[in-house]
Amino acid sequence: MRGTWLLYRKEMLEMSRSFKLLWIPIVFTILGIMQPVVSVYMPDILKMSSGVPEEMFALYELPSPPVVMVQVLSQYSTLGILVLVLAGMNSVSGERYGGTAELIMVRPISTISIILSKWFAQCTALFMAFGIGYMAAYYYIYQMIGELSWKSGIISFGLYGLWLLLGITITLFFSTILRGGAAAFVTLAILAILSLLNAILPRWFSWSPSRLISLATESLTGNGLSASTAIECCLFTVGIIILAILSSSHLLQRRGLPN
Amino acid sequence: MDVMINWTLILPILVLQLVLAVIGLISLSKAQMVRGPKWMWVLIIVIGNMLGSILYFIVGRKDM
Repeated sequence: MRGTWLLYRKEMLEMSRSFKLLWIPIVFTILGIMQPVVSVYMPDILKMSSGVPEEMFALYELPSPPVVMVQVLSQYSTLGILVLVLAGMNSVSGERYGGTAELIMVRPISTISIILSKWFAQCTALFMAFGIGYMAAYYYIYQMIGELSWKSGIISFGLYGLWLLLGITITLFFSTILRGGAAAFVTLAILAILSLLNAILPRWFSWSPSRLISLATESLTGNGLSASTAIECCLFTVGIIILAILSSSHLLQRRGLPN
Repeated sequence: MDVMINWTLILPILVLQLVLAVIGLISLSKAQMVRGPKWMWVLIIVIGNMLGSILYFIVGRKDM
């Protein structure tokens, strides 16, 4: 436990030195604020880019607060997750190929401590970024568009946060066996396949972790969120996360260091 | 153009983008190993707005 805490502090120091703790939250905040602003000023933006017929303006309706929040989440599903995965892809592989891992692994520290410390550090960065970004988006929607139930806001934050957490855990897992770039590619491919399967065959994949996105959306728009599906989905995702952490610690121990 | 824009709502976006670019430039000035020439990254960060800075932090820095 002590070793994990020490390594965690080292990870956090490294993250603040590489400005990750600053730039990732800023990117998430910009993404979160941009969406409500764009929705409100859409007619003006269209007016400035001339050539749009007048009838278009009459058709434009200001989306409701939950819809804008869903749009914010879909921004996080694309650019947000891309940033998180790419920023985390070198967390283990960078040290394995860079030589820092040798210095750590000759000490009597278990591999699970190494993996856990990295995982906790990634979690901290993730929840700082997603938390600040989500709150900023919520505030903007509240101020510019209208009220949004805080209860459904918190539920969707939790569900969507779990999905992002799965993303960074899979990144960490592949980062222990592959080089950084390949790890990011495989992770993004897996996440894309999961969401695609959920979109095509929602019945068959009710347990799929990518269901978390649609559950988060449902809790915002208030279309009867079924608690049992949500719990089943959350437990399954947590299971995958624990399994991924344990197996990456095992793999790091067995495979050791590349020459 | 009689578009009424509430600047107090848009200002934070501009400020955040500026902060992001400044952090990118500070990090660039300190970095010892950068992929490609440094002046190219200065241009990318300054012109490329948010995406330029993201690109620098992910691709440009070698010691991640």
